[in-house]
Amino acid sequence: MTPDAQWPVILLSIRVAVGAVAVSLVPGIAAGWLLARWQHPLRALVQGLVMLPLVLPPVVTGYLLLHLLGRSRPFGQLWHVWTGGHLAYTTTACVIAAAVVGFPLLVEAIRLSMVAVDPRLEQVSRSLGRGPVDTFLRVTLPLSLPGVASGAVLAFARALGEFGATIVLAGNVAGETRTIPVAVYTLLNVRDGEAAATRLVLVSVALSLAALLVSFWLSARKRSA
Amino acid sequence: MLELALSHRFPSRASAFRLDIALASRGPALGIFGASGSGKTTLLHAIAGLFRPEEGRIAVGDRVVFARPGGVFVPPERRRLALVTQDALLFPHRSVRGNLAFAPGADARLDSPAGRRILEVLRIEPLLERRIEHLSGGERQRVAIGRALLADPSLLLLDEPTSALDAELSRDVLGLLMQVKQTLGVPMVFVTHRAAELLALADDCVVLEAGRVVAQGLPVEVLQRPRALGLASLVGVDNLLRVPVVAHDETGGVSLLDLGAGITLAAPLCDVPIGRAIEIGFYADEVLICLEKPAGISARNALACVVDSIDRLGHEVLVGLRVGATAIRARITPAAARELELATGRPVVALVKTSAIHRLDGEPT
Repeated sequence: MTPDAQWPVILLSIRVAVGAVAVSLVPGIAAGWLLARWQHPLRALVQGLVMLPLVLPPVVTGYLLLHLLGRSRPFGQLWHVWTGGHLAYTTTACVIAAAVVGFPLLVEAIRLSMVAVDPRLEQVSRSLGRGPVDTFLRVTLPLSLPGVASGAVLAFARALGEFGATIVLAGNVAGETRTIPVAVYTLLNVRDGEAAATRLVLVSVALSLAALLVSFWLSARKRSA
Repeated sequence: MLELALSHRFPSRASAFRLDIALASRGPALGIFGASGSGKTTLLHAIAGLFRPEEGRIAVGDRVVFARPGGVFVPPERRRLALVTQDALLFPHRSVRGNLAFAPGADARLDSPAGRRILEVLRIEPLLERRIEHLSGGERQRVAIGRALLADPSLLLLDEPTSALDAELSRDVLGLLMQVKQTLGVPMVFVTHRAAELLALADDCVVLEAGRVVAQGLPVEVLQRPRALGLASLVGVDNLLRVPVVAHDETGGVSLLDLGAGITLAAPLCDVPIGRAIEIGFYADEVLICLEKPAGISARNALACVVDSIDRLGHEVLVGLRVGATAIRARITPAAARELELATGRPVVALVKTSAIHRLDGEPT
């Protein structure tokens, strides 16, 4: 890897992180709502499954994903039938890996902000003639928007730093799957790569810190609102 | 207007609680009266469709909205019953106008003559563009009532609409609800633990105690036999009197009411013929007790009375007073009772402001 090929790496990382947040936003809102409002003994199990990627070693998560999505695996083959392409070792695989590891952070932030929405507001909305979907879109979701936003920012930051699951599921293909962490790892293993690695590390720190600050700002706004 | 029978067991409450209620009302305003924990709000939620009893049948007008067994459950949004709660529960992410326009069709209704009339009665036109956090408690409740009315409900459900407000504001909201009933003609079911509200607003009332209906009928009749119903502690917080008018003082702005034994009570001027009895009420909090008649005081009523009873209820003391042939109650703090060295049989003076006295039989005073 040549030291001047850093901009494509940074842009790829941002693209992957944005893509990961984009694909997980709707399922994340659904899961956050379910975990906030669903009263059922199975809720704890669902919550455990959603949170699992947070505590699993990312390499293990990547391995499990590879088992599901690999070329000879059921989902991988289904994908091949639909699209004619493969999932593993592509940018799409990077997005999936980043989405899965960031998902718990997204869901937890959404869940907490939805728990804070007074359910009596939803009852009043129903009695005023708004059905469950309408009530969700007009009351619950707008009131938990700050939590959705801060969860999305956290998931974005987590996606930027994703390494373990990515290297297993997506490998290290220049221009395709070589994100900032993968590139740093690669540069540290080549002669004279250290200076370029340091620059990427600084970019990584700056992006992550910025994302965290935005997330803090969003949740502070939520509290004062 | 409403016909209902339901039963439900709550095994999880500290002591197993069973709701077992049957009632029918022709309205237009049904009051549900009871202490906290008697099942009033649960009953209202069952009517609204926010709570599904194990068994029962609920019909609003001639429409069955719930039947179990029978498998009928009309979801809350299709019952056309708008709910107003104790703390207005306005949507914090919307302006006053956004709240008023929340229900389907309310946006268009807001600009129709009927909508304008609602805004006028509730005095919320000047608030329209305000943000929710800049409203006072009374304004919030007015907006909540307006929001419910603009949903064009066939029945308005009110869950203790005044109890989060101080005495003055709650009288204001009560007056508005009376106007809503009279001038807008919207039928309502409301839950309250204040007897004065029941008398002022309800045509028909149901008294709940521990999940059961213990009395049903005209509010005046039901409330006049409170002891028989075990409701003394509930009704006792308010003074409810039916007394004849003996004189009018138009320049002074008062009407004098006969309390017996030559003692009169100065109430706000009314136009009832002399000799006719009217129903009045005032809160026990509005009665001050003094040991001697004070001089130079604005309160029109300094009534010589005798302490009849002293009941300690938690952090307050309810003092029963005999004045002429009438009994009234004052609510004071234990500290005040101690300092005045109150004892039964002791003569004291009760002070009542004329403006604290309200007519409960129709026209507001």
